[in-house]
Amino acid sequence: MKEVSIPSGANLTAIYRELVGDYPKFFKMDTLSKLGFLLSEMLVRDDEGRFTPREDRAVIVFSRNGCLANDINYAKSMEDFPSPALFVYTLPNIVAGEISIRNKYEGETSAYVLDKYDRPLIDAIVRQAFQDRITRDAIVAWIDCPSDSEWTATAWIKTK
Amino acid sequence: MENLINELKLKIIDSLNLDGMTPEDIDNDAPLFGDDGLGLDSIDVLELIVLMERNYGIRLDSPSKGKEVFRSVAVMAQYIADNRTK
Repeated sequence: MKEVSIPSGANLTAIYRELVGDYPKFFKMDTLSKLGFLLSEMLVRDDEGRFTPREDRAVIVFSRNGCLANDINYAKSMEDFPSPALFVYTLPNIVAGEISIRNKYEGETSAYVLDKYDRPLIDAIVRQAFQDRITRDAIVAWIDCPSDSEWTATAWIKTK
Repeated sequence: MENLINELKLKIIDSLNLDGMTPEDIDNDAPLFGDDGLGLDSIDVLELIVLMERNYGIRLDSPSKGKEVFRSVAVMAQYIADNRTK
């Protein structure tokens, strides 16, 4: 099973420029979504037939702090002008949507906020996603970023 | 005009929180919206309207006007140069 990670505090823009470079929407994303986006790029960039719409791949993201870092940024913006650009990332499941939009995945997407990294629980939740007779594999990620400069970010593909 | 274009690019990056983007990443004539250009969407129009009003004293009352003005950085800069009140 291929597993990828991004070290805490790494320069995400530099990784984007090296791996992708032609998806400017990246710059709009909050740190949680940037991490999820880059992790998924590391996992699927060599996929055959990439960008062909498909329903059989799920995207399931886990974290502890959800989108808290962006929530704080948005709350600060409310002191002046509440930023719509920040507001759109004040949901922890947006990262799963960003990955799906990029890759044209049309299957299951979900995001869970857990007390802590709990691999047996994560595996159990992912197994449930395979009960629908459509999902054949899943991009699974643990992305926890309590701030914009520190995080744990790892992802893998789980096959049914 | 070139100075205004560069200033505008910096303000767009700041207003839209395009963290990590530089003015060099924005082509003067590339569409601001859609996948072919900067990748902005309807939510970002609000930020651009506020940017125009706060920095240049320009008030856009009609959404259709915004569609025309926000076609590219170059078009936006020309509109600002022609209509700014501050």
